[in-house]
Amino acid sequence: MTDSSSLKPEEVDEAVAAEYVVGVQSLAERSATEARIRTDADFAALVTIWEFRLADMNSSYPEVKPRNLLPAIEARLFPAAPGSAAVPLRVRLSPMRWLSGMAVAATLVIVGLTLLVPPRPDLVAVLQTTDARLAYEVRHFGERLTITRVAGVPAVTGQVHELWVIAPDAAPVSLGLLQDQPLVITYPVPPEGWVLAVSVEPDGGSPTGAPTGPVILTAAVGASDV
Amino acid sequence: MEDPIAELIQKCAAQDRVAFRQLYRDSSAKLMGVVLRILRERSEAEDALQEVYTRVWTKSGRYDATKGRGMTWLIAIARNLAIDRLRVRTETTGDDDMETIRDRAPRAEIRVIAKGEARRLADCFGTLEPERADAVRGAYLAGLSYVDLATRHAVPLNTMRTWLRRSLLKLRECLDQ
Repeated sequence: MTDSSSLKPEEVDEAVAAEYVVGVQSLAERSATEARIRTDADFAALVTIWEFRLADMNSSYPEVKPRNLLPAIEARLFPAAPGSAAVPLRVRLSPMRWLSGMAVAATLVIVGLTLLVPPRPDLVAVLQTTDARLAYEVRHFGERLTITRVAGVPAVTGQVHELWVIAPDAAPVSLGLLQDQPLVITYPVPPEGWVLAVSVEPDGGSPTGAPTGPVILTAAVGASDV
Repeated sequence: MEDPIAELIQKCAAQDRVAFRQLYRDSSAKLMGVVLRILRERSEAEDALQEVYTRVWTKSGRYDATKGRGMTWLIAIARNLAIDRLRVRTETTGDDDMETIRDRAPRAEIRVIAKGEARRLADCFGTLEPERADAVRGAYLAGLSYVDLATRHAVPLNTMRTWLRRSLLKLRECLDQ
């Protein structure tokens, strides 16, 4: 980063692992570090060591009893019966199951970049219905992602389309609300294999920070994004 | 070393749902303390906590008891999830209250650490300049970003990055002695 020149090369990895564990990195830096943890075992080991090195500070966190979340967590992890796919995302599912559940939803289509007509360099993904009556394009300019509706209409009054990004093994994270104007956010290009999704939420967006309404569009980020 | 939490995590890896319930009972108040400290909003913290336990269950097979205590592993998952959510909230909406950050009293944290069982790390914090030790602690406990820290300590962002990196390397040197 900005001052890495002042650190010895072998110190840079240590410093990056430590600052990830301390938690000071920006979202983009954290994404990059997490990608490295997944692919570089030596670096992942540095991170683990830092987690245990700094663990003594954990004694400063007080205990705070949450309301009983166990039923909700178990409903999420251990759904009673398969085949109850009609249940919307009211019960928030883990991302992996969220995705497999989507296979059931026949109206959805996953469009990777590789499938797209002329790949424009800055096109990250297209989210669209099978009949293409509703479509959003996700493009990358500089440090920003711009999400533009290129077909269809916004959600009906009282509802809104909300955009989510899902990293492998992670919970959906809201990127914002899709309304009349294109949504512009400061965000890096999501790495290949990440998934973008649009859900229908009450006006103002999901009240819980996770998708609560039906997921109407998804797209996996393709390989050739630059 | 006796570590009942570690044993419960290992049972979760073997798909033991009874152990998962016990793990929730034995650890949820601590993990709630962690996510609430970072997210500062109860309903969001509870929502995050559900996701934390979902991850705990699905990742339990990756826990390696030889590398450290079970509670430390759980807290790492909770902190990472809470910090990611906090970054998304503040970076995409600009919704953070700098006053809150500035007003937070860092000194209280030092005292808690100093009298707890965290003797060794606390000793090593003593080798840092107090302001830099505060920066490390504030970031770790509350999930402050470089931007937050630079504001709080009224120094340029790059200066803060240099401070923090050097302080962390110095801590490592002290801890690994």
